[in-house]
Amino acid sequence: MKTEGLRRWDDLQTGETYDAKGITITRRDILDFAADFDPQPYHLDPEAANDSIFGGLCASGWHVTALMMRLLTDTFTEQNIDLLGSNRVGQLRWRKPVFADDTLASKITITEKTPAEEDKRFGFIDCDIDVSNQHGDSVINLTTSLMIGTGEAGA
Amino acid sequence: MSISPYIRSRWFEDIPVGEFHVFGNHTFSEKEIIEFGKKYAPNVYHTDPEGALDTIYRGLIASGWHICAVWMRMMVDYMERFATGVQDGRRNGAGVGFEDMKWLRPVRPGHTLTFTYEIISKFDKVVRDRWGIIRSRNEAFNQNGELVFSFEIDILAERQPR
Repeated sequence: MKTEGLRRWDDLQTGETYDAKGITITRRDILDFAADFDPQPYHLDPEAANDSIFGGLCASGWHVTALMMRLLTDTFTEQNIDLLGSNRVGQLRWRKPVFADDTLASKITITEKTPAEEDKRFGFIDCDIDVSNQHGDSVINLTTSLMIGTGEAGA
Repeated sequence: MSISPYIRSRWFEDIPVGEFHVFGNHTFSEKEIIEFGKKYAPNVYHTDPEGALDTIYRGLIASGWHICAVWMRMMVDYMERFATGVQDGRRNGAGVGFEDMKWLRPVRPGHTLTFTYEIISKFDKVVRDRWGIIRSRNEAFNQNGELVFSFEIDILAERQPR
């Protein structure tokens, strides 16, 4: 990331929104993530999945949250925003299953800005993030607090 | 605090509030932190040990979503080890959502987290005819006993047919 033109906490405004472009999830992606982190039948075995509450092989909910992070990271990098991490998720809902070949996009809205009390190096922005599939259905939504660099020197 | 080995073979009605489990522990390697970071959170503090030294973290740290994924793996393994009759007709319940997730301290290569799970409430609302909701408080402590990660998650559990 270039330091020149880097967008800091001061440069961001409440109400700003960012649209993150699509990521398509393959069957192989679903199976690989599940084998590593969530080896349950409805994420690994198409037969068992057909018979489950989801009605078909679907991505782990934590795979979807990881892809949300990828969309967020790529968008903030593209926007040259100095993202320094996240300390909190207020609430997250898994609203619909994500299936193979679904394409996910997300909308990020800044709802609040709060200075960090004990550290001048970053400030917080609260964001609403909605991730939707190619049909426009929301698959997850969440509220989260992100740390954005101020450019100030370390403590 | 009672420890029951039969988490998943019970109906919603039979799961007691207050039950406590230790899922086990996991040591995060530099390799897996970087691998996850490159795929899902490509920021320098998750992908590049050298570059990470110049960030506020002063070194490589695991993505918070990596910690979540490892939590899930710890839970599934624990269930597999201890559940009897997983495939006895009562199906695995899916997660509905979670609240108040906090990443309190960095997790670095070589750190070992111990994951704990406590059932804190049950919701009587019936979901899709046959599921109830169990809320648990989940925490992870590092090798120094410091709380590094916590959240409360709602998971479906099948209700006993009437």
